[in-house]
This record gives sequence, C-alpha cells and structure tokens, in this order.
Amino acid sequence: MSSTDPNNKQEYDSLYAKRKEIYPREVHGIFATWRVAMVALTLGLYYVLPWINWGEGRQALLFDLPNRKFNIFMLTLWPQDLIYLSALLIISALALFLFTTVGGRLWCGYACPQTVWTEVFLWIERKMEGSRPQQMKLAKSPWNLNKIIRKGGKHVIWVLFSLWTGFTFVGYFTPIRELAQAIPTWDLGPWETFWIFFYAFATYGNAGWLREQVCIYMCPYARFQSVMFDDNTLIISYDEKRGDPRGTRKRGIENKPADKGDCIDCDLCVQACPTGIDIRDGLQYQCIACAACIDACDDVMGKMDYDPGLIRYTTLNEIKGEGLHIFRPRVYLYTSILIGLILAMGWSLVTRIPVSLDVNRDRNILYREATNGDLENVFKLKIMNQDSKPHDFIITMEGLPGSVLDTDQDVISAASGETANTLVRVRASEDVIKDRSTSITIKVTATDNQKLTDEEDARFIAPADWFQ
Amino acid sequence: MSDINKEEIPKIQRIIAVLWPSFLTSGVAMIILYWIFSPEELFPELIASGVGNMAIYSVTFLFLWLTTLTSCLLSCYFLRPCNRCND
Repeated sequence: MSSTDPNNKQEYDSLYAKRKEIYPREVHGIFATWRVAMVALTLGLYYVLPWINWGEGRQALLFDLPNRKFNIFMLTLWPQDLIYLSALLIISALALFLFTTVGGRLWCGYACPQTVWTEVFLWIERKMEGSRPQQMKLAKSPWNLNKIIRKGGKHVIWVLFSLWTGFTFVGYFTPIRELAQAIPTWDLGPWETFWIFFYAFATYGNAGWLREQVCIYMCPYARFQSVMFDDNTLIISYDEKRGDPRGTRKRGIENKPADKGDCIDCDLCVQACPTGIDIRDGLQYQCIACAACIDACDDVMGKMDYDPGLIRYTTLNEIKGEGLHIFRPRVYLYTSILIGLILAMGWSLVTRIPVSLDVNRDRNILYREATNGDLENVFKLKIMNQDSKPHDFIITMEGLPGSVLDTDQDVISAASGETANTLVRVRASEDVIKDRSTSITIKVTATDNQKLTDEEDARFIAPADWFQ
Repeated sequence: MSDINKEEIPKIQRIIAVLWPSFLTSGVAMIILYWIFSPEELFPELIASGVGNMAIYSVTFLFLWLTTLTSCLLSCYFLRPCNRCND
C-alpha cells in the first residue's frame, strides 16, 4: 500500500482497475508549517470576509447578482465595469506565470483551494481515524461499532464543514447576515438552498473523495505549467548523486557504508506524498510541490546525523553544478508587465468617475419648429448613476452660443445603480445657427459633487436649404 | 483485450472530462450573457410575474450546463476508437 504510483501502467490504465486509496503520512517541518499558515490565512479570509461590513450595513464583499452590482470594499462595480474583472483575471494569470517561472508550482502546494481544503479534510480524518497506519488498519478491519463511529463521525464532520463552506459561498452572493437569520427557521429561498448544497457537495466530493485526482484530471494549470518551467525554475528534487545507491543500514553500527549513498530507502517521502508518487523517480506532473517529502526526508536525515537537503528545492542547473539564477530576463519581463498592469488598473479604478451619460437623438424627427419660431432638436438622455449613493444631476450644454437648453425637470434624480431617462430640447433662433450641423456637448454633473460628471457629443441639425 | 486497455482512459477521467469543462464554459457563457443583457430585458414576463433574478440566473446556468454537458458527452462518445464498433 505504500507505493501507489499513478505511472504504474497496469494499475492506472486498466478500465476496471480501482484507484488505490492514498493515506498521506503526517509530516512536521518548515514547509508543513508554511502550508498550515497558508491554510489558516486563505480559509480564514474565505470564511471571515463576507461577515465584514464597510460603512452602514453594507457588506464589504458582495457579488449582488439580483441587483447586478458588486461591492468590493469602497467600490461598487456594475455590469459595465466587467473590464475590471477581466483585468483582474489577466493580472492573476500573469502573477501565476511569474511565480511558476521562479518557484515552480508554489500555487499548487500552498494556495490552491483544492490543496487548502484537502489539508483540512486530512486533518479531520487524522483526528477521527488516527495516523496513517491506524487509518490503513481501520480500512482493512471488518465493520464493527468502532469503525462505524470513526468512519461515520468523519463523514458527519466533513459534511458539516462542507455545508458551512457552501453557506459561506452563497454568502458572497446573497447578504450573509440575512442568510444566517433565515437558517434557524429554514426560511431560505429555494435557489440559495440549492447552491448551498451544490457547493457543499462539490467541497465534500473534491476534498474528501477525489483529492489528488482533481489535480491530475481536472486542473488545466497542471497540464500546461511545464511550459513556464526552465532550467532555472525551483523544483523539488531528489539529489540522486548524493542519495544513490539507496539502501537500509543498521543505525549506529553502519552509519555511512561506503557502498551506499545517503538515501536509506525508508520510503517516508513516498508515504508523505498526497499524490502518491515517488519523488526519487524525477520530476513528475502529478507533483504539486507541497514539499511534504522534503519535510519527511529532512527529519530522517536529522535522525541519521546526515545533512538535510537530500530532497530539496533546487533547479536543474544547480543539480548540474551551475548555481542558482533566480533573476533572469523572463523574470524581469513578467515582473515589469505585471507591475505595469497593476498600476494601470489601480490608476483606472482610482480615477474612475461613477456616472455615465448616453445621448441619443430622437429618431422620429431631425428638427422641428418650436412654438416661438426657433429651431428645436430633441435628444434622449440616459444617466447611469454607478455610485453607491443616490445623486441629483443637472444637465448643461456647450457648443452653440445663443441657444437654449430646455429640460423636463431642473434636476434629475437617480438612485444608486439606477439609470434615469429624460428628454432634452435644444432650441436656437435662425441667426445663431451658422451651419447645417453644429457639434454640441451635453454634460451631466451631480449637484453635490462637481467631479461626478460625464459628457457626450451630439449634433444640432438645421434644414439643409438654409445654407444653400 | 489487454492492448485496448493500455490505451484506455480511467473512468473517473471520462466523467470529469464531461462534467468539468462543461461547467466552466457554461459559467463563462453565463457571465457574458448577463453582462450584455439583464434578466429584465430577456424575460420581462417572468420578472413581472414575480420570478426572482436568482431563479432566472440559476435556471439559465443549469440550462447552459446541460447544453454544454450534452456536447461534451457527444464528444466523449465520438472519441471512442472506431475499430471497436465491430468487436
């Protein structure tokens, strides 16, 4: 059971062969500590963020689908702002390229939701079923009360944790406090209920059952990450020159046998691996770079009084004796593009003016004569208030001296996220109109904030025969 | 028989290859669809009769998923080696 190598042809390629269960051994060490810290940070953020409010009763992070607006701390984004979401995705992808080029699959080992939730599920499993040998013994033992309690208890805790995860997930889309109040009386909407259970099921299935198969079969990044690797990328590797030939030895009596390398072939690196590979076989795409094998091996090296680092973060060039080259053209290129994009997006967000004006000519008529004999053009205005507060707007016009702007109301009110529609009429007497088509600029400005303004050009049309 | 098995893709990989890409693409299609149109524009009658946006979004997503899932299923079906049809 110790070796569950997915490369094993007979085992994995047969249609009917069952996947062998992997029982990763618990390890302690510097990288395990880092991973636990990252689990605490990422899951802490996930479960806590929707409960944080920004301002009066406004959930800081809320993707309010029913009202089609996204609250992101002080910002409110609307469907028109999808460009920012796209920019955020591009920045995330570039950051992933950069981290992969420098440090290999850092994302997989420490930050990927699959890793992070699996860590928690493994922890629950160890609490309920004990250590790796105990888990394996329990799996083989006949069903009795102890097995039912341990296995059943594990699943009950997994399900409860998954439901909490699903509830939190829906809390990013429906105000989480309202959701929490609806739970005791089971007063949830049918679709909220559906998505809580859907996401809970996905969590339970992925972190409880599928585990390393998600990385192997579902993850697109796992398939293409190798193109971002070069000979200077940090990878987790076994030092074959130092370790081979491998072999067991009697502790104390035969500490450094001349015919053997430093690998004592204890198999702990294989037992610790959550994807069930043997790192000593070289770099494999199943490796999620969690560094559990480094911790396991360093522990053994310490007990043997050998130097640590038989399995370590290294680069292909370093193994060849050419040293570490972290800073190289590819890294500089990714970093500068990334910084450029972050600055551009930040600048665009900071200077974003949350009002937009859309001016359309009344399609029925180009121009008409007003009651006082002036020439009149009619325009339809759409004022979109993208701010998180309601505003009153005044409409002004430039470009045709001597003309008059006639509006239905003095100020146009628009609630947060609302589009106000109104008609305006531009009137001018024959003597001020100099051309058949005059460019005018219509402008809206919030009464309480002069900076909240947008303008759009339009054309004032006069009869062609006036200028012949 | 063993020769065929060596080429075989594990069953779990087949299931994932149908469920997962269809889930992702329908999610993207959903975002694009409701970026351009609001539920009020697409289904004014439903909105008027009191159906909530959440229900419309959810049903749209599930419908899109069913469509893309069918397409993935058909791809999977047609990818079966042809020589086996006569076995």
